[in-house]
Amino acid sequence: MRKVRNLIRVVILLGLLLLVFVSGCMPGMGGGCSGAQAQGWSSFAPYNELICFGSMEGSVIALNPKARSEGKAFPAETEWIYAIKTATPGSACGAMCAPSSAASGKGIYATPLVIDDLIFEGTYTGKVYALNASRGVVRWIYPREGFETVGAIVGNIITDGKALYFGSANGKIYALDAVTGDFIWEFQTSNKIWTAPVLDNGIIYVGNYGGNVYAIAAETGREVWSIKIPSAVASSLAVKDQLLYFGTFDRNLYAIDKADGTVKWKYLAGNWFWATPVIRGSTIYAACMDNKIYAIEAADGKEVWKFEGDGQMVSTPAVTDNHIFAVSEKGTLYKLDITNGTMISSVSVGYTVYGNPYAEGDMVYIYARDHKVYAVDTVKNHVDWDFSSEIK
Amino acid sequence: MVDIWNVAILDPVLNGLIALSQMLWGNFGLAIIVLTVVVRLILMPLTFRQTKSTKAMQELQPKMQELQKKYARDQKKLQQEMMRLYKEAGINPLGCMWPMLIQMPIWIALYQSIMQALAATPENLLILSQHLYPWDLVDQAIPLNENFLGLRLSQPDPTMILAILVGLTMWVQQKMVTPPATDPRQQQMSSMTTMMMPLMFAFFTLSFPSGLALYWVVSNIIGIIIQYFVAGGWGYFNFPSFRQPRPQTQPQSATQKAAEQPSKALKEGDKKKG
Repeated sequence: MRKVRNLIRVVILLGLLLLVFVSGCMPGMGGGCSGAQAQGWSSFAPYNELICFGSMEGSVIALNPKARSEGKAFPAETEWIYAIKTATPGSACGAMCAPSSAASGKGIYATPLVIDDLIFEGTYTGKVYALNASRGVVRWIYPREGFETVGAIVGNIITDGKALYFGSANGKIYALDAVTGDFIWEFQTSNKIWTAPVLDNGIIYVGNYGGNVYAIAAETGREVWSIKIPSAVASSLAVKDQLLYFGTFDRNLYAIDKADGTVKWKYLAGNWFWATPVIRGSTIYAACMDNKIYAIEAADGKEVWKFEGDGQMVSTPAVTDNHIFAVSEKGTLYKLDITNGTMISSVSVGYTVYGNPYAEGDMVYIYARDHKVYAVDTVKNHVDWDFSSEIK
Repeated sequence: MVDIWNVAILDPVLNGLIALSQMLWGNFGLAIIVLTVVVRLILMPLTFRQTKSTKAMQELQPKMQELQKKYARDQKKLQQEMMRLYKEAGINPLGCMWPMLIQMPIWIALYQSIMQALAATPENLLILSQHLYPWDLVDQAIPLNENFLGLRLSQPDPTMILAILVGLTMWVQQKMVTPPATDPRQQQMSSMTTMMMPLMFAFFTLSFPSGLALYWVVSNIIGIIIQYFVAGGWGYFNFPSFRQPRPQTQPQSATQKAAEQPSKALKEGDKKKG
């Protein structure tokens, strides 16, 4: 009897364990035991006839839309792929386990930056790669071989033409020589940086997860001013004229004076402004995770119009002269009239999208969580072609 | 089903944990400890009942063994007699499992909340946004500070200290409630059970975020404290260095102890009731 009871006890204990882990790992209940894996959500940068992006598999890929549209085998013509060597997630129990470090995921978040014939990509593994943009061959890597990585790079790299600037999860802003990749300076902030800095008139502005916004001299890396706001900065900063714009985790869109950080106005929404605000003319177009796109007067923060989609607006919309292309987290691409926010058309790619859409002519390119790039023809209103980044 | 779970259980626990963190000077480690203590205090009546039910079952063991010997060749009769014995003692043989089952959703929600709140990756932060209440306390706490006592709560503890603590506290807790068996084969199985769980959890600790391991350690320590006071001591846990090994007489004294100690606990319980 005792033997049976012991057996039952073992079965119950194992069952409980299994239940805890299985229920904790169900996607709908939190995105896995240790949460969702760091897959990345890079958008696209143009180089000649190519569009370049960082893949969820840790590669930098240059696609030729014409070749893709014709259904040619990849790589065709000028296309290329560069596979970045990344650390293997150091878990002893597979997908159930947390990554061994914050930067062990393979995916790439930052959209590549192109200067002349060089393409720069920051990785979640904490490195910056400079590649030849026409062939995908490495020019340099920072940090150099044998040196520690700089912490996960999630935000985009920016440039003034001579130097590269980027933030890292270790809370530092780095400046590198764009040609050689040599270290110029670093600036330590109070907390993690998962967003991109913005550069204006020789000053770099960046927000961090400690609720600080910094103005740093691009030449020297010295602080010009900093402010503390009640909540952490959720989005990258945008700058226009005298004001800086950014979203925070207290559901506000802030406008602050770039001269001293004085808060000019703030606009409260239903969730985070995670995406970078886009400024066109005198209006800010801000995607919010309350499922809405807001058009707000840049000067005083008054609402012009808003549009509600079918899911959270995580990504930064692509704004053209007449239209706004916004993608919901559910994978629906909306084409909106820029003047009043009226929906002109919509196309669903059917998969979750976190990355920013990239518009080129009538085409909008989206990188979805099913690892596919979708080319959506916004005139014919259909997916023209798709391309899987899971290349064997 | 998932939506019901999120709205009714996960979201309240998650937001409570985050708000608590903000109230505790933005210290998420302290929030985990306080919430674990609060939840275990709320569930104290269930834990008491479970412990007492287990004790009562253990007290019946000598009589059970007699029945097993007596009806060794008649399983049907044995089952009938056992049920009669349970009935006379006023015990539901499955009764000790119910409190454990009732607690499970709370443990799972706590576990998921810790995992989600820490948001180790950018994707996790986006998922977290879908579960947050529009409270100022919650808004201001996000993203949480993951540093606590030199640990990064969203990452596994590289020093193995937490793994050892998790394994050790769980082992002590198991030893306190597991009576020594008379049969060598049963003893072997019992020892295996007692060792397996702590080893498994210690192994998990090596790979899981240390915030979760912190929760396990605190939960185990509270379990040990409750067990200590409900059972009136360390139960079946022997401090190896305090006692001389007596292999020949051990089985007999262990059996006596198994029979005597629960009786004592029950009698004390009866006195209190009276």
